[in-house]
Amino acid sequence: MTVAHAPGGAGDQGVMALERLIVMANQIGAFFAPYPPERRAEGIRNHLRTYWDPRMRAELLAHITRGGDDLDPRVIEGARLLELPDHEQRGYYGPPKA
Amino acid sequence: MPNPRRPDRSVVTTCAYCGVGCGFRAETRAGRIVRMMPWKEGKANHGHSCIKGRFAYDYYDHPDRVRQPLIRDSIDQPWRAVSWDEAFARAAAGLRAVQARHGNRAVGAVSSSRCTNEEIFLVQKFVRAVLGNNNIDNCARICHAPTQFGLSATIGWGAASQHFDSVLQADLIMVIGANPTEGHPVFGSMLKRRLRQGAKLIVIDPRRTESVSSPHCSAMLHLALRPGTNVAVLNSLAHVVVRERLYAEQFIRERCEWAEFEQWAALVGGEQYAPEVVGPAAGLDPEMIRAAARAYAAGPRSAIYYGLGVTEHSQGSTGVMCLGNLGLACGMLGRDGVGVNPLRGQGNVQGGSCLGSWPHVFSGYRFVTDPETRASFEREWSVPLDPEPGLRLPNMFDAAVAGTFRGMYIMGEDPVQSDPNQNHVIAALRNMECVVLHDLFLNETSKYAHVFLPGSSSLEKDGTFTNAERRVSRVRKVVEPLAGLQDWEVTVRLMNAMGYALHYDGPGQVLDEIARLSPAYRGMSFELIDRIGSAQWPCDENAPEGTEVLHRERFPRANGRGTFMLTEYVPTAERTSERFPLLLTTGRILTQYNVGTQTRRTANSRWHPEDRLDLHAEDAALRGIRDGDWVTITSRFGQIRLRAQLSTRVNPGIAYTTFHHAKSQANAVTSDHSDWATNCPEYKVTAVEVARVTAPGVAPRHEERATLALDPAG
Repeated sequence: MTVAHAPGGAGDQGVMALERLIVMANQIGAFFAPYPPERRAEGIRNHLRTYWDPRMRAELLAHITRGGDDLDPRVIEGARLLELPDHEQRGYYGPPKA
Repeated sequence: MPNPRRPDRSVVTTCAYCGVGCGFRAETRAGRIVRMMPWKEGKANHGHSCIKGRFAYDYYDHPDRVRQPLIRDSIDQPWRAVSWDEAFARAAAGLRAVQARHGNRAVGAVSSSRCTNEEIFLVQKFVRAVLGNNNIDNCARICHAPTQFGLSATIGWGAASQHFDSVLQADLIMVIGANPTEGHPVFGSMLKRRLRQGAKLIVIDPRRTESVSSPHCSAMLHLALRPGTNVAVLNSLAHVVVRERLYAEQFIRERCEWAEFEQWAALVGGEQYAPEVVGPAAGLDPEMIRAAARAYAAGPRSAIYYGLGVTEHSQGSTGVMCLGNLGLACGMLGRDGVGVNPLRGQGNVQGGSCLGSWPHVFSGYRFVTDPETRASFEREWSVPLDPEPGLRLPNMFDAAVAGTFRGMYIMGEDPVQSDPNQNHVIAALRNMECVVLHDLFLNETSKYAHVFLPGSSSLEKDGTFTNAERRVSRVRKVVEPLAGLQDWEVTVRLMNAMGYALHYDGPGQVLDEIARLSPAYRGMSFELIDRIGSAQWPCDENAPEGTEVLHRERFPRANGRGTFMLTEYVPTAERTSERFPLLLTTGRILTQYNVGTQTRRTANSRWHPEDRLDLHAEDAALRGIRDGDWVTITSRFGQIRLRAQLSTRVNPGIAYTTFHHAKSQANAVTSDHSDWATNCPEYKVTAVEVARVTAPGVAPRHEERATLALDPAG
């Protein structure tokens, strides 16, 4: 079995079971649910960026590209911000910022 | 006749059992320990001790201790004793081979809170500088990671706001999901002393713990909530504070973010958190919730102490945030006698948190993703470092099951026994090509290891521990390491074997490096601690001898203000059903320690020879179970057998067990649910069914003895 390990990239097969990532991502979405839409999306994005291994993020984003079945729409919205360069440049890492 | 136990030498050191970190004078005679005497000058314990620290030290030269490095090519082979050099060469080659085959990020490590700050720091340095990734985690992942996350989000630092002595000035003490008289006995004694002086006690715990009712301890209120309803109940307390305007408006306006307070007040002030709504769902009288909230807000000095009953939930981090919110709202931070304080389980779990054994932060809680922070470590270590966060411990096992994580250095941990969903952990370890285990004993995890590096106990090494009140104390070598090397030397030699040149004259130099790279430890050194006994971080030019109480003037956040997080209650996915109608929760007992690796090898086992399942008489009668019967405990994840014990400490619907004995395998039944933010496992809530059986059944697996496991020819 060959697995790609380029930074930020996942192999053909994901780094771990997709179902597990979906559960974890939806839990994150549920925490940020009470926040206003913009902060909610930003909070989900920051959490994934700060605490998830890049292969986990890549696997989640690949799943979203395929339609994102079983994912909370709020998670999809937040995770998509990972792909926007200006969010990367703002450079905030850390616990949810209130 | 002369007393054969009369000591000829003594060394002052720090106990490694719980997060209290008592100072002891270890007395020896002819190179063997004969007595552990509580140290009167110890600032954490003031001359007190408990039955573990005082008596449970015999494990250090127990016959089960492994005294030579061991290797084998595959896990079905017997171990072969080898030299240190051969073991290091084998470990280095094994880990490098995995990286060559499966990529740089296919290996990682976990460090132990039984080890010193210096050792923990070196293990994360090993992963970052030598393995070249951030796959490093520590056992706080499965206990207090939510503390780090939840407190840093609200009050800025993921650590106790107070020193232990602060409890002696509290008027109201709220103990949540902790049982200090058993789990942190020396602090428990101090708490009892304050109760005798008239302070009031509120306990929030599903179980009628010894802290609720025992000699010198009587709770004014006991909120025996259903496991899994913490966040709802804490929000309900906040609801009362907000609706009855019991909050400290001046404190919030001066010290916190007012707009965030308003947003939070709108959420917890909602009808869904009224005690009349939450009470029935959590199994509580709404008036008790109101009374608890009023008493906490009234203070005038109210202190929160909490444990794993808060953190080990799918909303563990949210629960900790609830406590930060409550402390801020009622102005119970930044002075003596108040505070929000985690009671840390292991001797050095606070140190484990501080010293960068996390996949996302370096020592001093600074993010690997931050280029400036990373540059400071790159300068010190002379290697480029991975800018991406690594895998957390449970994710390492998830990735191993998927085949993308294949090698691991495990220092002083037994994940097969201590991590949740045992079958999953075993499947993960079986998938690995190189498991290097560094421990005192051949534990459950050793069955899946390829290299065994014999460890040194805290009695055999030099370094420092950081206790639950942020106090850094010296660990001093009392006896020579049984296998010849202290743990920090083992990690350095492993790094050398992997081609990274590195040398320290002693662990004091490692602490100097920690001080250069971690702001809160900037002023720490062996010299300082030897001079003043111990020092609490932050210790720097502003506080050259350390800091007892945090947050007196500002909160360590960018704008200096505390803030409020929105803590909506999300029920756990682990639910009772017709098949699994009882909720199992877990805890500890005074005489034993965690999975018992050490205490079970001492005479302390006389007090607790086996784990038992506590059941309410009503639930037992329904199932035809009598006191002492063998029962099976079945969850969606597995089955174990224990003897039942009828108990009035648990309510109907709740079952409870300790997890001190390997043969009990409590984690064969625990679920794979985990905290949303940190993946800290939800040990405290598992839906189970209990049934009577006639016999203990097949002999359960138990730890192999080093002597039996060795190839007689080897």
